[in-house]
Amino acid sequence: MTRVNRLLTLWTAFILLFFYLPIAILVLFSFNESRLNVVWTGFTTKWYAALWRDSLLVRAMKNSLIVASFTTIVSVVLGTAGGWLLYRFRYRAASLLETLVFLPMIVPEVILGVSLLILFVVIGFQLGYTTIVISHVTFCFPFVMASVQARLAGLDPSLEEAALDLGATPLQAFTKVLIPYLMPAIVSGALMSFTLSLDELIVTYFTASAGTRTLPLEIFGRVKKGLDPSLNAISTVFIGATVLAVLATEALRRRSK
Amino acid sequence: MRRGLGLVIAIALAAVHLPAGARPAAAADSLNLFGWSEYIPQVVIDEFTEESGIEVNYEMYASNEEMLAKLFSGATKYDLIQPSEYVVEALVKEGKLEKLDKAKLPNMKNIAPDYFGLPHDPQLDYSVPYMSGTVGVVINTAKITDPVTGYADVFQEKYKGRIVVLDDALEIVTWALHVLGLPPNDVNKESLEKVKPILQKWLPLVKVYDSDSPKTALLNGDVDLGVVWSGEAALLYNEDKKFKYVLPKEGAHRFIDNLSIPKGAPNSDAALKFIDYILKPEVSVKISAEFPYTNPNAAARKLLTPAERDNPASYPPGNPKLDTFRDIGANAVLVDKLITDLKAQSGT
Amino acid sequence: MRQESTSFATAAPSHQRAPGGIGWLLLAPLLVWVIAFVIAPAGIMLVYSFLKRGTLGGVVWEFTLENYTGVADPTYLTIVIRSMVFAAITTVLCLAAGYPVAYMIGRASEERRNLLLMLVMVPFWTSFLIRTYAWVTILKNQGLLNSMLLGAGLIGEPLELLYTRGAVIVGLVYTFLPFMILPIYSSVEKLDGALIEAALDLGAGPLRAFSRVIIPLTSPGIAAGVLLVFVPALGIYAVNDILGGGRVDMIGNIIENQFKGNARNWPFGAALGTAMLIAFGFSYWLVNRRQKMIEGTR
Repeated sequence: MTRVNRLLTLWTAFILLFFYLPIAILVLFSFNESRLNVVWTGFTTKWYAALWRDSLLVRAMKNSLIVASFTTIVSVVLGTAGGWLLYRFRYRAASLLETLVFLPMIVPEVILGVSLLILFVVIGFQLGYTTIVISHVTFCFPFVMASVQARLAGLDPSLEEAALDLGATPLQAFTKVLIPYLMPAIVSGALMSFTLSLDELIVTYFTASAGTRTLPLEIFGRVKKGLDPSLNAISTVFIGATVLAVLATEALRRRSK
Repeated sequence: MRRGLGLVIAIALAAVHLPAGARPAAAADSLNLFGWSEYIPQVVIDEFTEESGIEVNYEMYASNEEMLAKLFSGATKYDLIQPSEYVVEALVKEGKLEKLDKAKLPNMKNIAPDYFGLPHDPQLDYSVPYMSGTVGVVINTAKITDPVTGYADVFQEKYKGRIVVLDDALEIVTWALHVLGLPPNDVNKESLEKVKPILQKWLPLVKVYDSDSPKTALLNGDVDLGVVWSGEAALLYNEDKKFKYVLPKEGAHRFIDNLSIPKGAPNSDAALKFIDYILKPEVSVKISAEFPYTNPNAAARKLLTPAERDNPASYPPGNPKLDTFRDIGANAVLVDKLITDLKAQSGT
Repeated sequence: MRQESTSFATAAPSHQRAPGGIGWLLLAPLLVWVIAFVIAPAGIMLVYSFLKRGTLGGVVWEFTLENYTGVADPTYLTIVIRSMVFAAITTVLCLAAGYPVAYMIGRASEERRNLLLMLVMVPFWTSFLIRTYAWVTILKNQGLLNSMLLGAGLIGEPLELLYTRGAVIVGLVYTFLPFMILPIYSSVEKLDGALIEAALDLGAGPLRAFSRVIIPLTSPGIAAGVLLVFVPALGIYAVNDILGGGRVDMIGNIIENQFKGNARNWPFGAALGTAMLIAFGFSYWLVNRRQKMIEGTR
């Protein structure tokens, strides 16, 4: 038993190393002297200083976070609702509905972007945060729904029945029994949505406006000029902040035990 | 569940009231600028706003086709776009550009004379050159010692797997046309048949296709020579003088990115003001400082630093054989198909 | 071993009721969303696929079938098959590599679990472009990997790792691994500890415990992971463009070209997209219906 555990831990550590290797390079190169960010030429912190002055980049990061947060919230609501409803009720067109929900995952991004743009123009919807969020949710919430459905498969129905027998209303059974049960799936789906939205490029190009440029758009736009290390710097700052926040939460939780 | 629904509605309402970003309705004091990513330095835009009081909404795209897609969707009414020369020709043919009111562009006199009389817009009635450049051969002279003077020299067996080229089907086809001595803009079914055998020999020698950042592969040393934009070569030269830039003797593409006003622009006055502002030599140099392309502004060239002027990729010496691209209409589909086929055939 | 534990849904259909008014009412927002933002755009693309190409991109409102005859070309078939092969290889590798990690996280203590999940996702909150260029730095001839191998004396000359199919696979697995780990994790998490211990204790050895008990119980998560990796992997264009040196064209690149390249052939791109959509949609719908029928007849 412990041998299995040890192997698993080793493998997990290896995979995490695999994940973080390019990140280590990314962080390292944020201190690279050369603007062209290809070969290491020397150590400097000037790109972090440049970040301070680069309001465009910081604003793009802010836009990305706003969009990703809203996308995640809406995706979680739609995906969880969809997953649970399709589990609870025997709709006649269930297969069709599920196929349609997962369709945006297969549609190439450029087609999705162009057709959503045309749709928004036809219905007269002004481009901005809302259109970006809508387009992101469209291909993000299937991930939540798939996750929730997988978690629901094999759910012991007697769990909910027991709650109802013990005097809970259907709503209470839902919120106090089902939602907590679904939490790992919801968290999984939320993490996937957030990640997908944060890095989305093509669909965003078509559905964004001048003031709502997201970080991927900003970064991709700088490829020709050269992806200078200030882009590495902003990524480093962001994940640095995230890791710190997570560790801080962990420390607080351990303290409060 | 009801709570979930309420949450959705609340979010939807909130989102609708979020600032939607650009206000496409033209206020008398705003300019909707649609340009290549990062092509117009922010400092230039900011100074323009300071001087004229006109707010600039700067949206960006990464290819002419993306620009056309968003422009014609009608989602936002743009005042100014930055089409390449062959796109200008197509737009003029379709009547999609406003004629420029030259009276409001006194600084047009700064444009170098060799930018007039070109097939896409001979009198510069619809477009003003913004930046120009060439597509040519860049060589890592530390690795390549034999002379390389043109496309034929590049695509030799001995350089197999050491070549980078632009990922642009039309460009690649015109290089082959040049080598055959055919006019590069004479793209049709017959001429494509003629270039096919040449490309069948060339493409398997290529290691990397990259239009976005071919300098990466060259800097990394994964490739030693290639056919790339002059701007990329200029950046390489600034990084390390070992990167030489040569305009192919068979002929090369001179591309010109222009400023134009789309038909129906809400604020063409502001657009004209912006164009005239860009044409000021002291402003134009600022653009050159950011992008080592060829500046079409003769007056601005006089203000360049020696380093900028001496960069052979930015300002190639001599009198090379240069051609701009023409609009080839539906033949573009054939070009795309040919290169897709040949790429698939050359195997990976 | 009861048959149910190896099927997609192990609950008896008694968890399902007839929808009634409330069922449809609650489903309404989802339906509205799907109609507005899935069917409508898909419909637009379907319509476009039958129109003619416009000179400046866009379409000309004349009916034609030439786009679909164009789709039938052998070059595109080769590319489609290539996309499917790469997507399949990626999925299998992600499953093999990701399952143990998902298992580890699912069985970890509650605090550790959240920390591990974050550790898994955080790298992907950096810019995709920069991340992929970091891989270029690692895999290039003078890159990290080659330097290490040369330094350790394992090779005499740098290996050509970059701009190959292998590099593309590495990039793909890197991109999609989290999307295999997360769904499987949530399936593993609900496993009854006692059940696992029992399986492992009953002397059959961990391999059999895994293959006969644990993996079947987590099959919904595996199925979800496979769906969430294979399907998006079919449409990729950026990873292979950068790491494959632009030589490994996939169906995503071809379609992109029609909209963003000189071809300006939206209807053809739309036709290719519609073909993909129909192929996927139909297969998914068939599999899905079969699953539901299996469920329903028990």
